Amino acid sequence: MAALLAFGAARLPFEAGLAKELRAAGLTPPPMEIGTRDKIGQTSSAVALGGLRTLVATFLNLRAFSFFQEQRWDDVADAFDTIVDLAPRTRYYWETGSWHSAYNAASYYTNDSKLPALRRREAWRASILRGRAFLERGIRNNPTDWSLLAGLGFLLSDSNKTAAFRDPNEAFAAAADAYRHSADTGKALPYVRRAEFYSLARVAGKEKEALALARSLYASPQNRTPTLLILLLVLEAHENPSMDSTRRALELFGTPEKAYEALTGHWQRTRERFPVYGVAAALESLEKTLAIPAEKSIFNQPLQSTASPDDWFQK
Amino acid sequence: MNDTTQISRGSHVSRIGVIALHAFTQLVRMKVFYFLAVFAVIAIASNFFDLPQHEGPESVGVNVLRSIKSWSLGTMTLFSVVLSIVATALLLPKDVEDRTLYTILAKPVPRIDYLAGKLLGVLLLVFVSLALMDVLMTAVLQIRTSMVLEQQLEMARAMGWPQDAIDSLRVETLAQGPSWSLQGAVFAVFLRASIMASLALLISTFSTSTLFTTIISFLIYFIGHFQADARDVYLQAGQAGEGIFARLASLAFSLVLPDFQNFNVIDAVIEGQAMPLLILGKLTLIGLYYALFFTIASWFIFAEKEF
Repeated sequence: MAALLAFGAARLPFEAGLAKELRAAGLTPPPMEIGTRDKIGQTSSAVALGGLRTLVATFLNLRAFSFFQEQRWDDVADAFDTIVDLAPRTRYYWETGSWHSAYNAASYYTNDSKLPALRRREAWRASILRGRAFLERGIRNNPTDWSLLAGLGFLLSDSNKTAAFRDPNEAFAAAADAYRHSADTGKALPYVRRAEFYSLARVAGKEKEALALARSLYASPQNRTPTLLILLLVLEAHENPSMDSTRRALELFGTPEKAYEALTGHWQRTRERFPVYGVAAALESLEKTLAIPAEKSIFNQPLQSTASPDDWFQK
Repeated sequence: MNDTTQISRGSHVSRIGVIALHAFTQLVRMKVFYFLAVFAVIAIASNFFDLPQHEGPESVGVNVLRSIKSWSLGTMTLFSVVLSIVATALLLPKDVEDRTLYTILAKPVPRIDYLAGKLLGVLLLVFVSLALMDVLMTAVLQIRTSMVLEQQLEMARAMGWPQDAIDSLRVETLAQGPSWSLQGAVFAVFLRASIMASLALLISTFSTSTLFTTIISFLIYFIGHFQADARDVYLQAGQAGEGIFARLASLAFSLVLPDFQNFNVIDAVIEGQAMPLLILGKLTLIGLYYALFFTIASWFIFAEKEF
C-alpha cells in the first residue's frame, strides 16, 4: 500500500500538469455536467464516462434527427443541449442545433402550427432567439471558429428574422461584429468581410465606419459586387448630400443601363433595410436619360413585400 | 559487463519472448479475431449516418467522416479495454487449471519473466487487433474523405468560390480524414488498454477468481475517469470549503487510482483537432510508468505466492 501511495505521489504532479495543459489547449472537454448525466441515462453516462463521449454524442445526434423528423422541437433543443455538452468542440452540432431552432422550428411555427396567431408569433420569436443563444454559446466554447461566427452574423442579418429581434439596429450591429470576428480569424471565406460590411451599412449611426470599410473592400476588384458598389454610392451620398449621385453611379457601373438596373434592384429591396441615400435622385435622373415612360418608372412599381410577422401571423 | 551477465540478460528476453508468444497463441486460439468482422461491419455501417446538412460546401459530408472516426475509435476502445482486462484475468487461472504454471515454474524461470511474458502476450494481441482495425478504419476513412472532398469541391466551384477559399476548404476537410493525430489517438487507445492489462495482472495475482479480477478492473476503469475530479478537489486546497477529511479522502483516491481523463484527448482528435507529438509522448510516459509499476507490484505479490 505504501508503494502504491508513493507511486501515486510521484505521478500526481505530472498528471495534474498534463491535465491542465490539455484543458488549456482545448484537447480535453470540461467535465460532464450532472444535468447531462441525468439526461442521457445511466448506461450512456457510463459509456460517456468510459472515454466515449463523442460516440454517445453521435448516437444522440441520430436521436435528435428523429425528433426533428417528428417536429418535436423542444426535444430537439434538449437533445442538442446534451450533445454539445458531450462534444463541445464539434462545430457541426452547434450549427445544426441552432439551425433546427432558428430556421426549422421557426418556419414550422410560421406555416404549419395549429396554435393561435399570437402564440405562434411568440413561439416563432422564441425559436429564433433560442437558435441565436445556442450559437452564441457555441462561439463562447469555440471563439476562433470562423464558421460559427459567420453563422451568427447570417442569422442576425437575415431579413426573415429581423422582426424577431427587438432592435434591428442592435441586431445588424451584432451581425457586423460577428462577421468581423469571423474574418479576423484569418480562416474565413472572402464573402465574410463583405457580409460584415453589408450588416454594418444597415446600422444607423455607423455610416462613417461602413464607408471606410466599403472603400477598403472596393480596393480589391474581387469585392466589387453590385451590392457593394451601390452601398458605396449610398454611403458617399450620406457623407456628402450635395454629391452628384448620378455621375457617381455612372462611374461605378459604367453605363446608364447597368446603373439603372442595379439601382432599381436596390430600391426594391426594402425587406433588407439597406439605406437608400441618393438613390432616388440618381434613379430620377437616369430615367430621364434612358427615357423611361412614366408607367414603367420604378417609382410606379410595387415595392418588395415587407413580409413582417404582422403579415405571417394574421390568422 | 562480463559474458555471464550478457547471456543471462539475453535469456531473460528470450524467455519473456517465448512466454509472450505462447500467451498470444493461446489467446488467438480463443478466436478473438472474429471481432474484426464485427468491426468491419461497424466501420462500413458508420458510413450511412450521413444526415442532411444545411450549410454551404464546407459542411457537406463532414459529419459522416466524424461518425466513422467516432464509431471506429469507440469500438476500438471498448474492444481493447474488454480484451485487455478479460484476457489478462483469464491467463493466470487458466495456467493454474491446465497445470501449465507448475511446469513453467518448476523450470528455472524467474516469476517476473513469467508475468512480463504473459502481459506482453496480451499486449501483443491488443496491438495486432488495434493495428488491423486501424488499417480498416483508415481505408474506409480515406475512401470516404476523397468522396466528400470531391463533392465539396464540385459544389464550391459551381458556387464560384475563389481558389484560396477552395484550398482552405480542402485543408479543413482533410483534417477530418486520416491523419497522424488519428494514428496517435489509436496509439492512446492502446496505451489505455496497456494500463488496464497491467492493472488486471496485478489484481489477478491476489484475486481468488477471474470474475473478481474482471469486475474490479472494470470498476477501476470507470472510476479512473473521475480520478482527476478528486485530484482537483485536493489541489484546490479547500477553496470550496471542503473539510480536512474530504481533502484527505480525495488525496487517497487520486494517489491510488489511475487517471484516465487525460486519454480523453482521443475525443478531441475525433472532433478534428490535431494532437501534438509532445502530448502523445507524455501519454506514452504515463502509460509506461503505470505498466512498469503494476508489473513490478504484481511480481512482488506473485513471488511470495505458493502453488
